[in-house]
Amino acid sequence: MRKGWLNDTFISLKSTVSNKKVSMLIASSVVLLAAVIFLATRQDRVDYNTQVKPIFNKKCITCHGGVKRQADFSLLFRAEALAPTKSGKPAIIPGDPDHSEMIRRLTLKDPEERMPYRHDPLSTQEIDILRKWIKEGAPWGDHWAYVPVKETEPPRPHARFFGLLAASKPAWVRNDLDYFIYDGLQKEKLQPAPEADRATLLRRVSMDLDGLPPSPALARQYLAEKDGDKAYERLVDSLLASPHFGEKWASMWLDLARYADTKGYEKDGERPEIWRYRDWLIRAFNADKPYNVFLTEQLAGDLLPAHTDEQMIATGFHRNSLTNDEGGTDNEEFRTAAVLDRVNTTWQALMGTTFACVQCHSHPYDPFKHDEYYNFVAFFNDTRDEDTYDDYPLLREFGKSDSARLLKLSDWLKNKVPDEERAQQMQFLKTWQPSINSNRAEEFVNSALQDTKYLSFRDHGSAKFRQVDLERMDQLIYRYTAGADGGSCTIHLDKIDGPVLQTIHAAKTKNSWEIAAVPLPPTAGVHDLYLTFTNSRLKKPTDEGMQIDWLHFGRSLPGNSRVPGYDSARSIYWDLLVKQIPGIPVMMDNPADMHRVSNVFERGNWLVKGKVVGPDVPHSLNPFPAGAPHNRLGLAEWMTDKRNPLVSRTLVNRLWEQLFGTGLVETLEDMGTQGAVPTHKELIDWLAWKLMNDDGWSVKKCLKGIVLSATYRQDSRVSPELLEKDPYNKLYARGPRVRLSAEEVRDQALTASGLLYDSLYGPPVKPWQPAGIWHSPYNGAQWNTSPGGDQYRRALYTFWKRSAPYPSMIAFDGASREVCTARRIRTNTPLQALVTLNDSAYLETSRHLAFRMMGTEEEKEPGPGGEKGRKQVAANDAHPDKAQVIAKGYELLMYKPIEPSKLAVLEKLYDKAYAQFAGDEYKTCEMVGEPGIHDDPGTAAYVVVAGALLNLDEVVTKN
Amino acid sequence: MTQKEIHNQRLVNEANARALSHLTRRHFLKESAMGLGALALGALLPGCGIGTSGGAGLDGGIVFDPANPLAPKLPMFPGKAKSVIYLHMAGAPSQLELFDFKPDLMKLDGQDCPDSLLKGKRFAFIRGVPKMLGPQAHFAQRGQSGAWVSDYLPHFSTVVDEVAFLKAVTTDQFNHAPAQLMMHTGTGRLGRPSIGSWVTYGLGSENQNLPGFVVLTSGGYLPDAGKSVWGSGFLPSVYQGVQCRSEGDPVLFIRDPDGMSRDLRKASIDAINEVNKQEYKEYNDPEILSRISQYELAYRMQISVPDVMDINDEPAYIHEMYGTKPGKASFANNVLLARKLVEKGVRFVQLFDWGWDSHGTDPSTSVDMGLIKKCKEVDRAKTALLLDLKQRGLLDETLVVWGGEFGRTPMMENRDGKQNPFKGRDHHVEAFTIWMAGGGIKKGASYGETDEIGYAAISGKTTAFDIQATILNQLGFDHTKFTFPFQGRPFRLTDVAGKVIDDVVA
Repeated sequence: MRKGWLNDTFISLKSTVSNKKVSMLIASSVVLLAAVIFLATRQDRVDYNTQVKPIFNKKCITCHGGVKRQADFSLLFRAEALAPTKSGKPAIIPGDPDHSEMIRRLTLKDPEERMPYRHDPLSTQEIDILRKWIKEGAPWGDHWAYVPVKETEPPRPHARFFGLLAASKPAWVRNDLDYFIYDGLQKEKLQPAPEADRATLLRRVSMDLDGLPPSPALARQYLAEKDGDKAYERLVDSLLASPHFGEKWASMWLDLARYADTKGYEKDGERPEIWRYRDWLIRAFNADKPYNVFLTEQLAGDLLPAHTDEQMIATGFHRNSLTNDEGGTDNEEFRTAAVLDRVNTTWQALMGTTFACVQCHSHPYDPFKHDEYYNFVAFFNDTRDEDTYDDYPLLREFGKSDSARLLKLSDWLKNKVPDEERAQQMQFLKTWQPSINSNRAEEFVNSALQDTKYLSFRDHGSAKFRQVDLERMDQLIYRYTAGADGGSCTIHLDKIDGPVLQTIHAAKTKNSWEIAAVPLPPTAGVHDLYLTFTNSRLKKPTDEGMQIDWLHFGRSLPGNSRVPGYDSARSIYWDLLVKQIPGIPVMMDNPADMHRVSNVFERGNWLVKGKVVGPDVPHSLNPFPAGAPHNRLGLAEWMTDKRNPLVSRTLVNRLWEQLFGTGLVETLEDMGTQGAVPTHKELIDWLAWKLMNDDGWSVKKCLKGIVLSATYRQDSRVSPELLEKDPYNKLYARGPRVRLSAEEVRDQALTASGLLYDSLYGPPVKPWQPAGIWHSPYNGAQWNTSPGGDQYRRALYTFWKRSAPYPSMIAFDGASREVCTARRIRTNTPLQALVTLNDSAYLETSRHLAFRMMGTEEEKEPGPGGEKGRKQVAANDAHPDKAQVIAKGYELLMYKPIEPSKLAVLEKLYDKAYAQFAGDEYKTCEMVGEPGIHDDPGTAAYVVVAGALLNLDEVVTKN
Repeated sequence: MTQKEIHNQRLVNEANARALSHLTRRHFLKESAMGLGALALGALLPGCGIGTSGGAGLDGGIVFDPANPLAPKLPMFPGKAKSVIYLHMAGAPSQLELFDFKPDLMKLDGQDCPDSLLKGKRFAFIRGVPKMLGPQAHFAQRGQSGAWVSDYLPHFSTVVDEVAFLKAVTTDQFNHAPAQLMMHTGTGRLGRPSIGSWVTYGLGSENQNLPGFVVLTSGGYLPDAGKSVWGSGFLPSVYQGVQCRSEGDPVLFIRDPDGMSRDLRKASIDAINEVNKQEYKEYNDPEILSRISQYELAYRMQISVPDVMDINDEPAYIHEMYGTKPGKASFANNVLLARKLVEKGVRFVQLFDWGWDSHGTDPSTSVDMGLIKKCKEVDRAKTALLLDLKQRGLLDETLVVWGGEFGRTPMMENRDGKQNPFKGRDHHVEAFTIWMAGGGIKKGASYGETDEIGYAAISGKTTAFDIQATILNQLGFDHTKFTFPFQGRPFRLTDVAGKVIDDVVA
């Protein structure tokens, strides 16, 4: 009503102004007055989100919310809050604070009756807010992050005099993003900082986009070009197009994906092929795979129609959960743990929401119900992985020729079997799935799940597999070992002495595991299978006769030798099936006959199963897309639906954090009501909307928009007054100044010293680390430094062992990757100083930086080269002028000339070091490290200076 | 102090003061933005700080100063203990051979385990019907308190009157890695901060030249859960345990590179800091001041750590007392180091000794052979620790905790349904013994009882959470209020459980 009235006035005003100046003045005063009254009244209305909810969260929700519902009163949802409580009456009567029990109880004198119970009373202001809010009808408000992203107009300066004078664009503003920042600064009466100098900008944007300092060529080109703006955009484009771009952003994603090269827990054995997922990430970022596709492939690549191997590898995202190989573990317990971890990671990493609390009870602060957690679990619970030692299911990695043979086989099968069966055969060869893992066995007699890993039979042993679908199956393929000849394993239907389905005669296996097949007679329906084993040749009753890894009941190839091509097809089939090749863990759903039921876990305890639930999403968010399948693919569709309020906001917030050091919502992991208040809420929405609607989910376009903004390009110098007013740069009146990440610290040192071996992709590498870091029990794995250039690869390729991660990276706040790390908290500690001062890896970079400074090392573009690219120069005392050498070292790192006062300090250090080494051949040799090659005191002194350079604050900082 | 040092000290102080004032200011701004209600709460918690440049919002009255994260802080209330030495026997020692004397179990030795003890239970390795296994050690009552201790621990038997036993500890994790995580991080899964991290986060460190939380390992391996048991989880990484090692650098990267004299190292740190000061003048970023102070600290640490880690200087009678041999990697050496570290003001010293997993799969894991050897390795040293702390007047303010991650079954293990070749016991969650001493713990106390065969707790049952609550209590923290906000909710070491075990608090 009020709004309508105001609009009417506006319209009448517009018609008036065009006529008479006087009436315009009068009218405008009227409007102004009206606007003031309007705004005042509007502001007077209590805002649920900013005024009421914080009171509830702090003072009431502990007893009246998700966890507890004292007196049957809950403030979690409006319906609950207005419902009758234990007393039979509702505590809140909209419009009537005087008869609302809640207000009465807040204002009583008797401490036993007054709320909050046994806590300090609410202040008068707080009670007034609540009273007024009830009077106004107790409206509920949705938290900003849970409502869909709306198109947001940048707050351009208002046209003055009611549109008569167009607003001028502030000179500082470069793109629409800047309006949001500018508007905030105006409100605080602050001015933005001028643009940073070119060298600073060059290093900043290079580190930010590629995680590396710029290559000399790129730097030269950028610094030489006249038109700074054009040069900058060209620089940005080059950086976005560089293959190193993908490395930097994959590096960020690895924390979210809790990526590591080992499986975790006690044994913490290697997960040897998971690096292919890391490589998938690098390629995906480089190709600027649209973020919605990027997520869909990681969540459900295996469910995409006609999915490629690459899309399967993408699902490695959720196979980075832990596998517990410790002896004596309950595999179902750790399978369940992995499933819950996938749920929690999906929410925390991709939707900036803490969902883990809902595991035990309804969310105390945010609109998620206990059951909804388990609905969500159901999306992930029906997968083939079962905490097996081998990390099944794996996508087996056929080489080129084998892949071609596989295709040939597939072609041969065409028209011989239905398409579905053909696809199943292909899947089986590629994954050995679906198979019944031996850890599904039960009712062990003279048999055991040895070390809780493989089913093992002794003479007269037996075990049972429950509910196996034999319909249409004519062949059993099994993976096994047998220690002696003469064993036979008989499969009985339904009872231990039930009808015999088939008998396996297990000859002694030559190698460890072998795969074999037996035909099956036609059998209808689903049966419990009992396996009985005998081998009279076993010497002792405790001798193990046969071990089974898995059983696959399936269809044999159609036809027989008389069918053209059959023999060749069969030979391809068996070659490929038994081929010993590595595989990468992937996601794969159970076939219908292996479907796993999902339950609510009472109070979060997986052993106490409650009601059965199916896959669904929380109802407080966007609806599940109509027609989407209720599986992970449908889930991905729901998440990447433009109405999903969390996914796009979480991404743009994270990209912002990578560039500015802090997110627009500081708590990247939680945008809910308990998370940090956004500094520029509208900007998040603007970025998120643009990402989804204008930029087709392009991460590169989003990043480009941000780094081209004036906001990003600002100088980071700060005056004491501004520091006082905005110590954490929440208003962005200056550019970012943030310590480099663990990976960047290392990569920069390698680049500056010329040691970087910048080839992409491949298995993880082991750069030098001190002895004695790896000491896991029952795990003989050794850290052997990688040969050649591999030890100088970028940090993201470093072998990551969860129980003993690379120490220097951990010192710089690297994540141990046991669980999803949505945000690294930066610290500043003496242990970091010790790394860059003393770690042998940094001593080596200091040496090579010194050689480069002195010009004794061939200048080269960073590229695969490592050892090869270095020119061996004989010892030579005739170093050029030390000032020049030191200045060059500084420039190699900072891309700008050194200030004379800084140079003076470092020259002094050189002199002191030179004086020491001049009298000490032994120390000189130790410092230079390469006997016989430039082991003169001058070089040794430069190594010390280079080491100091690598430790400078400005060097370990992105400015 | 030289002029330069005075100047640097001034810079450090300035950095600290500045960081603190920012914290409180920002805290105020953040709270006021959240409305009046929040303001009122802010007034109630004057010490409550929020935020870092990295942005940890904090709670529980703890001020996290990113520029000086290990500055000593006051606890919530005056605690009796200042520091903790936690001796963890990784693998889980058998309570039935050491402290929990069960003569009735002897009578059942060799008999089939009754079904009632097996039905509905989960074991790591026991399958089918195992046999009962009587205690293998000889027990006697010791000291004034009459505590039962077996002849496996002759030295420890003489100090039982200093100690409080918890004899009915239980857990819900029956595998090593998860159970160790439970004891030290309050959950069987990975990702939460360890108790040492919580304590250094809450109290800082008394000695800025040493890490606040030190970990020492012996027995040839890391504990089963690896470094995660001293990880910092969601707390800033500065609070994770620093592993001090007996081979190589005592603390990683503490030694100057070969060829770098101390003098030259000093000169190079001075040069780095001098350039950084110029940088600070230009950029005014307080983080630079903090980096300057961290480099000063690193330099001092380089001197202090090797010094404190060197046990050569200890007098002969101390070596005799502990059974230490300098230069060897041993539990005894680690115990002596723990005493030295605590003496120097280190807040939390965590020892892990590997090799206590008495399954009976070979002689070294049998309860009648291997276990005796393990006891010999630790008995003298852990006894000496109590006596030595006492003679130095440190026992009152140092809490010593000894234990494993779970207990062992009264049944003999029959792995995969076969009798094990040696006498061993499987993992057991329903009863085990932990002892505490010093730091305001009741002397000569015993709390909790198990049934007549030591299978299950029947009274005074305690959990990892209770032990964590008690440790925090002794240090001056109410475990229910000592929280860190993460993922939108306040997290506690003790999650939603835990009760201070008043019966063992003096």
